[in-house]
Amino acid sequence: MSGRIRVAALLLTGLVVQATLFTEIRVQGASVELMMLMAILAGFHGGPQRGAIVAFCAGLLQDSIAATPLGLHALVFPPLAVAVSSLEQRMLRSTPATDALALAAAIACGLTAVAMAGQVFGLATFDPDTVLERALVVTAITVAVAAPVNRAVRWAVTGGLPPDIQLRTAES
Amino acid sequence: MAAQRSADRPRPTLLILLVAALTLLTLQFRGFQPLDAFQQGVRDILSPVRSLVDRMTDPVETAWNGIFGYEDLLMENDRLQVELARMRGRLLTDEADAELLDRLLHEVDIAYADLETVVVRILGTPPGNFSTHTIEVDKGSDDGLEEGMAVVTGAGLVGRLQQVDRSRSVVQLATHPDFRVGVRLVTSQDEGLVRGTGVDGLVRIESGIRTDAVVALDEVVVTSGGRSLFPADIPVGRVLDPDDGADYGRSITVGLAARLENLSFLNVLARSPDDRDSR
Repeated sequence: MSGRIRVAALLLTGLVVQATLFTEIRVQGASVELMMLMAILAGFHGGPQRGAIVAFCAGLLQDSIAATPLGLHALVFPPLAVAVSSLEQRMLRSTPATDALALAAAIACGLTAVAMAGQVFGLATFDPDTVLERALVVTAITVAVAAPVNRAVRWAVTGGLPPDIQLRTAES
Repeated sequence: MAAQRSADRPRPTLLILLVAALTLLTLQFRGFQPLDAFQQGVRDILSPVRSLVDRMTDPVETAWNGIFGYEDLLMENDRLQVELARMRGRLLTDEADAELLDRLLHEVDIAYADLETVVVRILGTPPGNFSTHTIEVDKGSDDGLEEGMAVVTGAGLVGRLQQVDRSRSVVQLATHPDFRVGVRLVTSQDEGLVRGTGVDGLVRIESGIRTDAVVALDEVVVTSGGRSLFPADIPVGRVLDPDDGADYGRSITVGLAARLENLSFLNVLARSPDDRDSR
């Protein structure tokens, strides 16, 4: 299966799960941000360029099902993926605990960025009274489902190659 | 770990993607129809799957609520018992006032109860975490619904249809900060523009009412009709704070008559053919 088909399959599956299961299952009114999680993990595993493109597509799909204008999530997800990729390359030591913390921070930043972008465009994207609680709950439940999603995103964006292989273009 | 490739050009790619996103946003805000159609198409494709998952998860949700919401159910039951007793008492008073009420209704020409409605079931919150003060209902354009239609309960105005797909719709609640509707104070007959406050159960009249107008506490507020998309005389709520001391812009707080807690169904007021022709 080619890389593009794998990524397309991953994103479409994520879209269906986000629109169905994760819309039904809510904690304190908050749902898992699956497409944002995929965007972040795409930056982590796929590098800045591939991560940004996958994140853009994830954002567009998220905008298609949510009651937000097309382009809002697509505006925020690519910089998020690039930032995660850039930070990942600078991390000296990676443990599951630091990865989880970094992921939580990235999700919190992503939520804030989407809410702020929405406000810039005059949308009521969050309720000021509950925004902090909502962000904490969303971050916690999204990190909780990250492990299986991580495997799926790694498979899709790296093509199942071992993670330490450096891919290089052939020079003639 | 990311496989950084020498061919990676993140900055130009990121710039192109950001420009593309901004372009899409601009087009959407300018009302570019194909983008709306694309979004609606994706939602329509997913709608059968969502309905199926809704049906599959309903028993689980019911069981969950039965186990973890039992105390709340008992409290709700107690509250309803008290309310029932109070309503029985009020029934006697209401019967005595029936004639007066009938005369008043004719006086203000409230035809709201006679309008044709479509009954819709509340499905919950739309997908995502960035849709505050909106709910999703189970009917759409296939059932004759259109964007902008008023959504009510027996008690009064709930909101309007913000987004209508083939088999689902999103209702923007009256408390949504972007919600606006023309209203009239029944006693003083002053008209103003009400807007959502972002606070559950409260809206605010922020323009149109004169600073010297006499507005009583508990005065009934109804929709004004006229050039508004909504029919006239839909009950909105009662004045909670008339803001009598205002020396410039008056901001009157209104408590909504319709409450969504524990409701499963809503009514969408269908537009008459005359309304459609005139718009």
